[in-house]
This record gives sequence, structure tokens and C-alpha cells, in this order.
Amino acid sequence: MTGPKLVSILRQGSWLIASIHTALDDTQMVLFQQDLIEQIGRYRSRGVVIDVAALDVLDSFGARTLRTMAEMARLRGAETVIVGIQPDVAFAMVSLGMDTGSVPTALDLEEGLAYLARPGGRGPGHRGSAAG
Amino acid sequence: MSAAESVGMREDRRPHDDVAALIPMLRRIIEARVDDAATADDLVQETLVRVLAAAARVEPGMLEPYAIVTARNVVASMWRDQDRHRRNQHRVVDLDLPDPPDQDLLANEERTAVAEALSRLTDRERATLLAHEVSGQDTRSLAAEQGSTAGAVAAQLNRTRARLRVEYLLVQANVEPPTERCRPVLLALSGGDRRRQREVDAGRHLLECDVCARLSQPLMERAQPRDDEVRIPISTDADIVAARQAARELAARLGFARTELTLIATAVSEVTRNIVRFAGTGEVVVELVDRPRRGVQVTARDTGPGIPDVERALTDGYSTYSGLGLGLPGARRLMDEFAVVSEMGRGTTVTMTKWCGER
Ligand SMILES: [Zn+2]
Repeated sequence: MTGPKLVSILRQGSWLIASIHTALDDTQMVLFQQDLIEQIGRYRSRGVVIDVAALDVLDSFGARTLRTMAEMARLRGAETVIVGIQPDVAFAMVSLGMDTGSVPTALDLEEGLAYLARPGGRGPGHRGSAAG
Repeated sequence: MSAAESVGMREDRRPHDDVAALIPMLRRIIEARVDDAATADDLVQETLVRVLAAAARVEPGMLEPYAIVTARNVVASMWRDQDRHRRNQHRVVDLDLPDPPDQDLLANEERTAVAEALSRLTDRERATLLAHEVSGQDTRSLAAEQGSTAGAVAAQLNRTRARLRVEYLLVQANVEPPTERCRPVLLALSGGDRRRQREVDAGRHLLECDVCARLSQPLMERAQPRDDEVRIPISTDADIVAARQAARELAARLGFARTELTLIATAVSEVTRNIVRFAGTGEVVVELVDRPRRGVQVTARDTGPGIPDVERALTDGYSTYSGLGLGLPGARRLMDEFAVVSEMGRGTTVTMTKWCGER
């Protein structure tokens, strides 16, 4: 794909920081999911932050895809936190009858990283030491 | 490239590609009517320029009929110019020389079509129209004669003109409307009467009826471009994003709060996805309405298989594809008004409205 990237996935120690930069269509969302899961496997990541602040909506497909991503990440040994859900997007999700399920959410990237680094969480430098 | 940008680019590119694909057809149409190769070339070029200029205003999927009509018009107007020129010459050199009949064929066809269309009006419609258009009688004096008001006469004249345009097109195309819905639809389009267009479900009929799709093109082209309505043809995932963003942008003009805009965009996303998943293709029309209150109305229609049990589809937990059953009931919760009409084998129309301001 040419032009500005739709998403970026950065590695920081054993964490991945995935940012969505714009509204994604369903196909792009699925490609993002595949890409992220592939990288979790490749880097044996322990924690994943998904920043969705740039998403214009989180409809049933979007919310479900995020939940699936978190579940697939969990099966690969990584914990996921979703950050940046805008208040209006969150309100629409609730009105729609959707939520992020058991996937934890945090206000922003900083809080999301703090969540992963919490005592008992998936610290960036010590694989396998955290409680699962 | 963002989804929005890719959608925009595709629309930029499309008309040129589509118009280029029309060239062989346009050449056939024009060469069948014009002997001289160089003239035919010029007319093909002129047609292309006109079609390209109009491409953005032409309904989706209607570029080809539009091009056919344009090609015919370009040829006809060349003949009219020649004819006029020749007649003026005649005035100087030989007033009695009759016009060669073959050259006048098209102009005659047109006059005949107008006469035939006029004959299809009621006597009263015809008399009023001719008194106004030909004799120049104003609406006030017409109203005095008819014991009516000037406004009512003007409205009646507009309806008559709309009918005349429809009948003229039917005569010119030499077709009888294939269904009894055709005339009401064409009439609503011709009159630019949007309430009536909704009543007769003109959008759906144009998806289904080839004759009306072909005939209605000049009727729609004639209409003023509207800035309070957006139509998005739907066939791919990217169109879902385009539809919800168009809805958000249009609704933003009414001063909806950001939260409400996101509710609208989310609802549009859900119903548009249903089109892509179940029907394959369709369209989403977003329009601003002001009755009974200001609001934004979204119509999502497709010609898909239809929903067998609408009541059940509106029930939470009803799952139709990959475990997702939230589409319709979810969208209904996000909007103020919500209606689904579905007919097996014909398709589904979802109409939903969000009112602006307090509920
Ligand atoms: Zn028809």
C-alpha cells in the first residue's frame, strides 16, 4: 500500500504498540489483525497496546475484530490493552450494545503502557516472569 | 493512503475510465448519422467533452444512457445549426426552395414528438400550457379565467411541464412504459418532487427498471444539483467507510453534537455493511430533512435476496453472518426513527432518521 500508513506496529522490548492512524474499512481491519497476530508470534511479544484514537467509529465489526485480536493475542501469550477510545465512540458502542468484552481499556498510550507494566503485569524486559 | 482518500481518488479516476470505455459506442452512434468522417470525429470529441463535464452530476450507472442521449443531441444540434443557416440563405437566394426532407428528418421527428406529447395532456392542461408558453398569458390572468389563484396555476403549469417532458421522452424513445409504476416515477423525477419520489420509491424503481433508468437521465440532469443530499453507491468495504463519513459530514451541517454524529455514522456503518454482506450492491442516500423537524435521513437500499423475517432480524441476538447479529437492532437503537421494508427476491430498504435537537 502506498501513501501514509493506515496503521503502524512498533516494537518496544517485549511489547508491541499498534496504532491505527485513520478510519479503516473491514478488509483493512482484518489485514491489521493478521499483521498484528503475526508480529506477536514473530517477536514473542508479551503485551500489546492497540491505539484506536483515530478510528471514526467502532461498530459491531470493529469492536468484534478488536476482541478477536485480543483473544488471539492471549492464546499466543500476550496481554492486550485497548487505548484511545473516544468518548463519543464509546457512547455509540454502548448504545449499539457492544463493548470490548473482557479486554481492558485505558485512556491513552501512557496509561496503557502503565497497565502492562503494573505489578503482576507483562513487564517489557522480563519475559515469562509475569503471572498469566 | 487513508480509506477516505482512496475512495476520493477512485471517484476522480472513474469518470475518465468510464467515459473512455464509451468511445466505440459513441462512434457507432454518430457514424450512423453523419457521413463525413472528419465531422464525425469532431462530434465524438464534443460528445466526450460534454459527457466528461457532466459525469459527476450523472447518477451512478447512468453514464452510458447519458452518453447516448448526448451523442444524439450533439448530432441533432449540428443539423439544426446547418438547417437554420441554410434557411437563412434561402431567404436571400430562393425563398421557395423547400428544405431537403432527409436533412430535416430529425427536426421533424422532434416536432412530431412534441405534438404527440402535447396530445397526451388533458385538454385543460394543454390549453393552459399553450396560453402561457405560446400566447404569453400570465398566471394571474389565467387564474382569473379559471377562478383559481396565480400560485395554483403556476403549480399546475409546473406539473403539466413535468408531464410533457415525460411524454415527450416516451414518444421520442418510442416506448410504452413496461410497468404501471413507470409513469408515476418518471413524473416525480421530472417534477423534481422529492416527497412524491419517496412515495413512489423512485430510487428502487430506477434500480429495477431499464426503461426508466434510460429515460430518466435527461430528467435528472435537468434538476438542480442538490447540496443537501449525498448518494453513495455501495459495493465494497471501502464504501461502508465512505457512506458513514458522508453521513457524518452532511449531518454536521445541522449542528448535531459530536456524540450524535458518531451515533449516526455508526448506524450508517451497520446498515451499509448489511448491503455489502447480503446483497452485494446497493446505494445509501443521506439527506437533510426539515419536516416535521430538522434532521438527517438515511436510506439504504439494495436489490439483494431480501430478509425472510424482518421482525426476527430486528431482534437482538439474531445471527446471520459470522456471529454478528447486531447490525439492524443496533442501528435501530442509535437512531430516532427506523423502518425496514424487505421483499423476498427484490431487496431491502432501510430508512432511518435522527432528529436534530431534543428528542
Ligand atoms: Zn419503469
